[in-house]
Amino acid sequence: MHLAGITKSFGANRAVDDVSLTLSDGEIVGLVGENGAGKTTLMRIAAGELTADAGRVDGEAELVHQHFMLVGDFTIAENLALSAGRLLSVADAEAIVRDAGIVLGDVRRRVAELSVGEKAKLELIKAIAKRPRVLILDEPTSVLTPHEAEELFRVMRRLAAGGTAVVFISHKLPEVLAVAQRVVVMRRGKIVAEARSAETDAQRLATAMVGTVAQTAPMNRRPAESDRYVLSLPMGESHSSHPSYLSHPSHRSPAATHLNVAAHEIVAIVGVAGNGQSELAARIRDLTDATRTAHIPEDRTRDGIVAEMSIAENLALTAKRWHPRAAQRHAEAMIGLFTIRARDASQRVGDLSGGNQQKVVLARELSRQPELIVAAEPTRGLDIEAARFVHERLRAAANDGAAILLITSDLDEAFTLADGIHVIYRGRLSARMTTAEASTRVANLMAGVA
Amino acid sequence: MRRALVALGAAAAAVLLLALSGAAFGHSPRALLGILLDGSVGSRFALEGTLLKTVPLLLTGLSVALAFRAGVWNIGAEGQFLIGALAGYLAAPYGVVAALLASMVAGAAWASLATLLRLWRGAPEVLTTILLNFIAFHLLGWCVNGPLQEAGGRYPQTDAVEASLPAIGALHAGILIAVAMSLAAWWLLYRTAEGLRLRATGFNPFAAKWAGVNVNAQIVRAMALSGALAGLAGGVELLGVTHRLFERFAAGYGYSGIAVALLAQLHPLAVIASAFFFGALVTGAGELQRTANISSTVATLGQAIVILVLVVFAAIEERRWSR
Amino acid sequence: MVEVILLALTFSTPLLLAVLGELAVQRAGIINLGIEGMMLTAAMTAVLTAQATHSAPLGLLGGIGGAALIALLFGFCTVTLSADQIVTGTAINLLALGATGFIYRELKLFAAVPQLHTEVFVPMAWIVAPLALAFLLWRTLFGLRLRACGENPEAVSTVKAHRWGALAIEATLIGLAGGFLALALSSGFAENMTAGRGFIALSIVIFGRWKVKGALLGTAVFGLAAALQYALQAANRGLPFHVLLAVPYLVTLLILAGVAGKVRAPEALGK
Repeated sequence: MHLAGITKSFGANRAVDDVSLTLSDGEIVGLVGENGAGKTTLMRIAAGELTADAGRVDGEAELVHQHFMLVGDFTIAENLALSAGRLLSVADAEAIVRDAGIVLGDVRRRVAELSVGEKAKLELIKAIAKRPRVLILDEPTSVLTPHEAEELFRVMRRLAAGGTAVVFISHKLPEVLAVAQRVVVMRRGKIVAEARSAETDAQRLATAMVGTVAQTAPMNRRPAESDRYVLSLPMGESHSSHPSYLSHPSHRSPAATHLNVAAHEIVAIVGVAGNGQSELAARIRDLTDATRTAHIPEDRTRDGIVAEMSIAENLALTAKRWHPRAAQRHAEAMIGLFTIRARDASQRVGDLSGGNQQKVVLARELSRQPELIVAAEPTRGLDIEAARFVHERLRAAANDGAAILLITSDLDEAFTLADGIHVIYRGRLSARMTTAEASTRVANLMAGVA
Repeated sequence: MRRALVALGAAAAAVLLLALSGAAFGHSPRALLGILLDGSVGSRFALEGTLLKTVPLLLTGLSVALAFRAGVWNIGAEGQFLIGALAGYLAAPYGVVAALLASMVAGAAWASLATLLRLWRGAPEVLTTILLNFIAFHLLGWCVNGPLQEAGGRYPQTDAVEASLPAIGALHAGILIAVAMSLAAWWLLYRTAEGLRLRATGFNPFAAKWAGVNVNAQIVRAMALSGALAGLAGGVELLGVTHRLFERFAAGYGYSGIAVALLAQLHPLAVIASAFFFGALVTGAGELQRTANISSTVATLGQAIVILVLVVFAAIEERRWSR
Repeated sequence: MVEVILLALTFSTPLLLAVLGELAVQRAGIINLGIEGMMLTAAMTAVLTAQATHSAPLGLLGGIGGAALIALLFGFCTVTLSADQIVTGTAINLLALGATGFIYRELKLFAAVPQLHTEVFVPMAWIVAPLALAFLLWRTLFGLRLRACGENPEAVSTVKAHRWGALAIEATLIGLAGGFLALALSSGFAENMTAGRGFIALSIVIFGRWKVKGALLGTAVFGLAAALQYALQAANRGLPFHVLLAVPYLVTLLILAGVAGKVRAPEALGK
């Protein structure tokens, strides 16, 4: 497959800028870059889903999307039929799964009942069944446990051995280096580096991805006051009708059976997406006093902002009073404090970039001086600068006495920020670990092997 | 500003298309436009007629605008209008104020049936409010044919009520009430924290919930206020214009409220202008029926065209955003 | 008793066709609130065609033509432009109400309206139409794709084509429903003659859990209730006429309240 001089703009933003790339049969290419670097756009053009403004595409590719394109109410077999474009008997469907070399169990099961990992496998089978010469996988490991990721790598290597070119999009450099023969780095729509895996290392790739970044030393934090829990939630009994949460804030609940977060403390919940994180956050929201708890919801565009309203209005949502002029002034101050890039306080939040939308959410939630902050995937989709900014604000909030529950699938984020770590797997929390303990056990716990 | 231009365009398009459809059946479009204009704003008498139609449309338009702003599909202003009028009739012996209050409470209660079914049973209000319209219609039909029929028993209508809104000529005080309600609705939506939360609920209930807004309370309140306004419209129409109830009392004011609200882009102050436009259209259409023998349902046709033009325009705009 | 049942089946035939039509579009992810207006338009075009051709069957074709015009308008707004379905549906209802009132007055033909015989039509509607629709939706690739549009449009590359296909099915069924209403159940067109049947059909789709069997059951129950209403009316047991008239809507409301929250709608319905 050959891409030559591909350019694609969305509005004023040039997502892909004159990129050329050649893929040979049987090679595994890692495509890395920050969010918004243009990886996915380039690959959607390669797969024929988008048309480039300029440039040529020779050859065809099959793209497996980061988010699932499955019909939850259909069975595995029906989903395969949908993608194959013909009706399939159960035996036909089983044959397709077998041919892909992936184990998936009964094909008559409804997809809605599958685990996230199984859904990912089904997406892969759908793509392999089309016998593409080029297979593109967009961030496939973000929803997989480390063990499932290993299984995926084996499938990738086998496909490559059979002559298929595989493109592997990721921002996790170690796994790219482990599985790909060649690594291509994109930044701001351009290919900025290209190397054989054997001849490079994660440090050099990271520098290429980000460009030069001013390093700032992490802020020092006061140790947690562990005698006063702001959040204390019984673990495992998700049906408990008498949550102890906030009923006796100073009462010490046993750490083995409770999720406890004290003032000045950051506790992380890590796990593969889809293991009950959203339910946990929603449950805390429903149990807590809205005036004392801040939420940074996982799905920013759906749950965080009201796109049709102005920055001032979004910031005032949690305020007791609303007066347009006062809100405007408050918003202008917040725009400065949180370095939100916007025309003015009356700009529609829907028109801001993802990072700036997140800053609006952050500004609203943190400026209430909450006792408890529940931050779910607070840096997902942000570039490194914005992510660092979010981390600093969270640290600062903890310093000022907030208790922070950080729900994340990004292990690095958990290890940089947290004082204690729980692993969530199929809706259940592990006992609390220190970061040192966690570093050796997390992978197994996330996979439910422990 | 831009949105006002779009609304003007939609209104103009509706009038033009009406004239053209008249032409399709052999009427002169110029003559039709002339009758529409003369019959609605051309004379003091016509203007009075238009203002009389504007009052109920303004109140039902506000009712719909408030509900839609909160993201609740209240298609039931028609039924709430009737129930409001019925309650107003029953309370009329106790005076104008009591009658109007009764019509507001009854309209709110009738609308709240739909809220109850939504929150308690998960029944979509877009359907239940419509079904409640039919039930209200037949309830009124039963009343004016049965227990509330006039003393003489000749026509299916009630006796005239004594209570009456103060009036100058044909023009009654309902117009002041309606305009005051517009201002109150504007103040609620754009100058209070609860109004901000109501709007947020309408745009994005998920985000509102995460920001600590009690979304269900907003829905309950918006629906009750919406029903109260539609009920008030019924009460005002009874005490200001008809003074009695009869089967076709609502005459589509509730459904027209949807067009009024959409043309006003759901803004309470713009509803005043929008209601005046549709009031003129309805009055002009009545004149068309009298002088040119063209069905006065063309007013309904005009409402439909306005909504469709707005819908198409909004969709095109949306596509431009997402590109 | 048999007579009551036959009466019930005949009287609820337009409703059944409307329910099946709406079922098809909702399975594809579209809520068509304008089904009421579509049926009303079909009733008028059926009468006009039947009067012009002196043939009731051709009148049915005319009904389908009228419904198709409305489907084109609705589809252009909601499928092609992705406009809001509920607002568009509401506008369509007003449009049909206004336009049929206006056009019928302009064109009022005094020719007799040929009557449609029910002996063939009713069994076709109750046996063939449901079977054909069930086969199409659950036994063909077209149906698989159509249902996928209602669950997750991203999983189908031809969403617009399949939604248009669903609208075509609906237009056909609603055209027949409107035609039957005007040519068999009444002898001509009257303003607003559909009297909320479209909205009742929408409710029965929910009651029937978006399944053909449920649609048949819901319509049959409803038809029986309606037939009983006529019987009661004839027997004159003292229940006032207007209260009886409200019964269908009350029954529908109760049905909705009974089942609505407990059933799973197609995931992408209305989006």
